[in-house]
Amino acid sequence: MSKSLALLFLAAVPYTAAAAPESFTVDPMHSSVNFAIDYGGLNIIYGKFTKFGAKFTMDRAAKTGSVDVTIETASVDSGDSDKGSRPRSRDDHLRTADFFNAAEFPRMTYKSSRVVFTGDNPSAIEGSLTLLGVTKPVALTIERFKCNPATATAKERCGTVAVGKFKRSEFGMTRGIPTINDEVALTISVQGILD
Amino acid sequence: MLALADHPAVQGGVAPLIVALVVAVALARTRFAWLAIVAGYATMVALSTGFSFSPLTVARKTVLLGLAAPLIGIAIDLGPRPSRAMMTALAVAAGVASIWVFMSILTQRDTLKGIAAGGGIAVFVALLVVSTLRLRDDGLRGGAAGLGLGLATGIAGVLSASIGYLVAGVSIAAGAGALLLVQVLLSRKIAPGVIGMLPVGLLTALFAAGALMLAELPWYALPLLLLVPLAVTLRAPERAPIIVRAAVLAGYSLVAAAVPILAAWYAARGSLS
Repeated sequence: MSKSLALLFLAAVPYTAAAAPESFTVDPMHSSVNFAIDYGGLNIIYGKFTKFGAKFTMDRAAKTGSVDVTIETASVDSGDSDKGSRPRSRDDHLRTADFFNAAEFPRMTYKSSRVVFTGDNPSAIEGSLTLLGVTKPVALTIERFKCNPATATAKERCGTVAVGKFKRSEFGMTRGIPTINDEVALTISVQGILD
Repeated sequence: MLALADHPAVQGGVAPLIVALVVAVALARTRFAWLAIVAGYATMVALSTGFSFSPLTVARKTVLLGLAAPLIGIAIDLGPRPSRAMMTALAVAAGVASIWVFMSILTQRDTLKGIAAGGGIAVFVALLVVSTLRLRDDGLRGGAAGLGLGLATGIAGVLSASIGYLVAGVSIAAGAGALLLVQVLLSRKIAPGVIGMLPVGLLTALFAAGALMLAELPWYALPLLLLVPLAVTLRAPERAPIIVRAAVLAGYSLVAAAVPILAAWYAARGSLS
């Protein structure tokens, strides 16, 4: 009996090794970090960050994972980068101390503390957003998660869309409230390639 | 009412002007009337960002120094008349303090670029502070300088893409304008002392340096700001009624203030048109 158990254990070893945490590096060409903010109840201003890096890990057997996103705040792009006949564009303004304060805080980060799985797939991320030197918990809901082999490399790739909301005033970004809404919607849409 | 208080014109202009007028009138017969400057500034801070000091950012360090400046002024003004060397030492200390204010940005730059930027800012802050401290015995010249410096840093700030520096600069202009108005209404000059001129010089210098480091003010606008305290030392008709003298000095100040504003405009537009 004990011999059978030992054989069973040895047979399981390769599968345990295969289920070790996998690490993915985000492919920026197929990824984006976006935000949306209500402007005076009139419309919604959409923006994105063009420079960011992200990694995520996943242990499907243990149903654990981690997410680490670093965003260069000076890369903010709200679709108004050409000042035209005005002294400055909206993106110029967003980079100043009125909003992202990119000179003093060149990076904002999101780090997970826990990835929640529903069934075999991750469904939510608990973590902290650091913006303007302030770190606060921000939860993200994973709207979709899918993996398949990348066409070019045959390496596994996983794509996900994670959404969340936070109040910018909690991070000290108060300019323009309430005309420019306090609540910001964040969408992280990434494809990661298995390292 | 709350929506009104959210408007930058109220935060930087109307509210600081009203508060500064009240403080200036209430303290007009004391040596502390020029506390109206910091009262106006504090009103702007309360309405726009609030008083929060963590993390200690450039903007929050500026608020701390702005609140400390009149206290230092009180300590100096209540003692024997300060010497010229003491005023110079105060200006140098202000320059050193400005390096502390911008340290978080300077340390992110290459060593040489950081030293050059920090040194340049420190020299500019010291020069503007010493230039304004020289006006501490003359309430009309001090008020005119505060008006011009506040408007110059505020308008140049918004041309550099910062609403924050607009309302900050305009709040100093509002406080200085209130003090000019009170002196005209009372038909007597009220000496600013270090209480009045240290906050004017230090805060407007830090606003300009902040607009350079955190927004897009061109570096050459900073030395041009030094024209403002210089312009108010020009001759004014000393025997004319106080309202005429105040108007002439304010005129000098505003003409000088137009120069750094035009520099910021030029940097933003690529031409003066």
